[in-house]
Amino acid sequence: MNLQKINKKLSARFGDAVRAKLSGGCIVLSGHVHSWQEVIEACQTAAQKYGTVHVVNDLKCDEVKEQPMRMPKIHDKALDGRKPDVLIIGGGISGVTIARELTRWKLDVLLVEKEADLALQASGRNDGEVHPGIDLSKGSKKHYYIRKGNEMYEQVCKELDVPFKRVGQYVCFNTGWAKPLVALYCLYRKKHDGISDTKLISGAELKRREPNFAKDFKFAISNPSSGCVCPYGLTIAYAENAVQNGAEVALNTAVVSMKVSGGEIQSVETNRGTIYPRLVINAAGVFAEDIAKMAGDRFFSIHPRRGTNSILDKKAGAFMHSIASIKELAANKAHSKGGGILHTVHDNLLVGPDAIETYEKENTETHRESIETVFKRQKKTMPKLSERDIITYFTGVRAPTFEEDFIIEPGRKTKNLIHCAGIQSPGLTTAPAVALDIADMTVRALSKEKPVEENKDFSPIRQGVPVLREMTDEQRAAKIRENPDYGVIVCRCEEVSKGEILDALRSPICVPTVDGVKKRVRPGMGRCQGGFCSPLVTQIIADFLGVPLSEVKKSAEDSVITFGRTK
Amino acid sequence: MRELVCIVCPRGCTMQVEKDGEETKVSGNACKRGAQFAKSELTNPTRTICTTVRTTFKDAPVLPVRVSAEIPKDRIFDVMHEINEVKVDSRVGRGDVIIENVLGLGVDIIATSDLLREAKA
Amino acid sequence: MLSYDVVVIGGGPAGLAAAISADKAGAKTLLVEREARLGGILKQCIHDGFGLVRFQEKLSGPEYAERFIDEFHKANIDALTLTFVTRIEKKSDGFHVALVNRDGVETVLARSLVLATGCRERTAKQVSIHGTRPSGVFTAGTAQHFTNLLGELPTKKCVILGSGDIGLIMARRLTLEGAEVVGVYEAKPTPSGLTRNIHQCLHDYHIPLYLSHTVTQVFGADRLTAVEIAEVDNKMRPLAGTEQIVECDALILSVGLIPENELAESLGVKLDPKTKGPVCDGQLMTTVDGIFSCGNALHVNDLVDYVSESGELAGENAAHYKTSARKMVPLESSGALLYAVPQCLNLNEDNSKTIVYFRSREILEKCTLHLKIDGETVLSKKYPFLRPPEMEKLVIDFSKYPLTETSKVELDIEVTENA
Repeated sequence: MNLQKINKKLSARFGDAVRAKLSGGCIVLSGHVHSWQEVIEACQTAAQKYGTVHVVNDLKCDEVKEQPMRMPKIHDKALDGRKPDVLIIGGGISGVTIARELTRWKLDVLLVEKEADLALQASGRNDGEVHPGIDLSKGSKKHYYIRKGNEMYEQVCKELDVPFKRVGQYVCFNTGWAKPLVALYCLYRKKHDGISDTKLISGAELKRREPNFAKDFKFAISNPSSGCVCPYGLTIAYAENAVQNGAEVALNTAVVSMKVSGGEIQSVETNRGTIYPRLVINAAGVFAEDIAKMAGDRFFSIHPRRGTNSILDKKAGAFMHSIASIKELAANKAHSKGGGILHTVHDNLLVGPDAIETYEKENTETHRESIETVFKRQKKTMPKLSERDIITYFTGVRAPTFEEDFIIEPGRKTKNLIHCAGIQSPGLTTAPAVALDIADMTVRALSKEKPVEENKDFSPIRQGVPVLREMTDEQRAAKIRENPDYGVIVCRCEEVSKGEILDALRSPICVPTVDGVKKRVRPGMGRCQGGFCSPLVTQIIADFLGVPLSEVKKSAEDSVITFGRTK
Repeated sequence: MRELVCIVCPRGCTMQVEKDGEETKVSGNACKRGAQFAKSELTNPTRTICTTVRTTFKDAPVLPVRVSAEIPKDRIFDVMHEINEVKVDSRVGRGDVIIENVLGLGVDIIATSDLLREAKA
Repeated sequence: MLSYDVVVIGGGPAGLAAAISADKAGAKTLLVEREARLGGILKQCIHDGFGLVRFQEKLSGPEYAERFIDEFHKANIDALTLTFVTRIEKKSDGFHVALVNRDGVETVLARSLVLATGCRERTAKQVSIHGTRPSGVFTAGTAQHFTNLLGELPTKKCVILGSGDIGLIMARRLTLEGAEVVGVYEAKPTPSGLTRNIHQCLHDYHIPLYLSHTVTQVFGADRLTAVEIAEVDNKMRPLAGTEQIVECDALILSVGLIPENELAESLGVKLDPKTKGPVCDGQLMTTVDGIFSCGNALHVNDLVDYVSESGELAGENAAHYKTSARKMVPLESSGALLYAVPQCLNLNEDNSKTIVYFRSREILEKCTLHLKIDGETVLSKKYPFLRPPEMEKLVIDFSKYPLTETSKVELDIEVTENA
């Protein structure tokens, strides 16, 4: 679509309020609108799906209340003067996979993450589906990486000691007449887009596999290559493996500005000092546009999209064992994300997410309406689903561009920069494959200055904390003989021992907070949500750190749990 | 006339108390203890308090205690203050006196648990 | 493999009473407790008021529990503390109970089982509280653990949601420790806790109670900074336009207790949706032969005295348990009754002193409980009032009635005056 056409459409909708112009190879939208929804509409009007000429949003919007990025409390000089070969900004799945792949080389890799732990934003706040790619067509980066990423999962999860199950996914239809059309669609996907495992199954077959699904399903698309993984577990595992192989991970470290001259980033300012990297990788999620701007390389815009998932009790986990969604042909399809139901690697059910456009990058509040909408829809797939089985819920914010595709490329203006931006679903699936390419780009770029040697000591193997509840009695007894703390159960719902909690605290990236321990070995993840175990876990952390209980945090610096002694 | 809810037992009777000259008439109570409670509520309301005292032991940082008999309702926070000043440094047991005759009220503060004796040193 | 007549799971008041009575009845008994100390939740219930029914004394929780613990130790009953049951399997020779503790993994054999596993608290997300996920959201029991066992103050200024007894007790407790309790908010139009606790825990300390109000949202990125309160309609749905923000550093929830029966369910024990505890007969045997239930795992009690009572009953019957066919007749509860326990009677047992526990669905004044057999009232008892927070107990001699498996045995309440 040319600029003239875009402006014609924009003026038809917004009058003189919004203009598009070509600038620096991007379509820059300027003007003034009232609501964020209008911003989305305007930018979507100008954007071409999967296009590489990106829409940059410079619109003023009355509704937007500018909020500064949440900053870590800590201010010191711990990283001041560091001169890493590579600085990775962002400790989500993108950042950590790149870090790990880069440690195959003799490079000084520093990853900074502004939060108190890894995977605290989108990477830890999604449903953990490893997608088959059925909805992706050739030509997009998403499609380019989806099968590669999906196929890497067995090996990666085996190497990193992370649970992964190919449980299969069903897209269920209650309109029998659509079957020939959908069959053609699947055939096209198979032949043209290489989604080789896709096939149609009958309503009866679906019923046999998932007896609790709605009775009126006539047929379903079955994608056996679809699977599930614990998304934050995988992120932490990748990061630990990177650290074991020599990378440094600095948590509570936020990038605040950059010095750029001669088309190169000279230095990066953080709350923990100035860093002088040879090359920077932008894996900053919802803040990727801000980082690009700091680096003088802003050629895309991110429009945050919020989604809420509910986690259901393991008892409901027994209702179904796969991943499922419903396709209603009459419904309007504003977003690809209608949500679904997923049986997790920990045997809970996850229900959601919805998709809501928002200007707030860090607002992860949940709302009653989200849960209600999602359940209303998902009950059509499985009528047995009940809000009563909810044990908790959470919101994540996706970081799409208006072209709805990934940006995986070197800086367009700034030389020593590589973007891994616009990452949204299926970013978890694609991350292992994307990381290989970005590592490759990085090594090639750095080799121009001096040769980059292979790291012969690299080990792809990461040993996780042993999971005693999954062991046989004999294995478990042997572990307890080794360390009696493995025999002391602290979390009754998830059957987590004191030994496992201490192992998590002694792991390569120690995050001595209640949430940090919870993410690593699961105390508090069960149906009582830490009611019984949180005082015990807090005490174990306090003893481990040798500090009073009141200094233990839930997560960030200000998230104290108690205010000191009662007397 | 005053209406009171009896707190002596879980039944929680709603009682009517009326002062008739020197005599106090109570109705609505199911037992004698209720009548006594109602009368003392009018003249000298008293309460029990249960709390903890700090100890020097890491395995049991606080020890539960209570008053040996009811204390005047308006002295609750004074007594709390006294209790909070104490730090137990021996492994006392249930029934042992922690503070004798607290604030001269004729009431002791006593331990209500053998926790310190059970716990490992 | 160690072998016992009775294995009791849970060392709180129900389990202690069960183990003591099983031992008294001559059974070789083992008690398994996951925590380091016996006593269950009573260890942290340092307030008084326990034991009025049983000992005619106002004891604190630890005092009450330790009377049983002393008796338990005097009787030299086997106990495994800091020991967790990972799995139970029913086999031809009895129940194989797999245990984990610092010594390793062990399986013990039990002829019969008493499940005294207590209950857990309903959480914030289970009552649809939204917003951020800061620290400072506690269930009342968790706040009580921090305060009374660890000596740590979980809040300086809090809002309490729910007027359950633990919430009321914690309102007073935190006030005594110098914290400010802004108010207790209850979504229902009537309080959930005992009336005397409303008086001695709230009124005595000038803590306001707001009925038909709930917390809808919490605020604060790290530590909780405020909550949103809203009035609710008669279906307990928040009313738009009534929202107000209350600043505080903690939200403490006392919004209900749920019997813990995951082990029971794993053994195929049928649960009563009304009590969320096992369906039991008059001997407190569940639908699975040889498995008995008591205390808060059976149904949520308001008085520990009844918890101990049901423990004793379950323990004694578990000791006498012999494999024999049961002849069952359901004991139905209907109308204004929220529930009644037991839910059935085994006609092959002595039912001459069957203890029936029940609660009304709402506050009732001047009402009559009727026992009807095949539609005919055979027993009536008048009550000046019935309140859902206050459980009632009635001993019924069912042996007087010619019951068969096809009899319709019903408990019903006739209301003469609705409050």
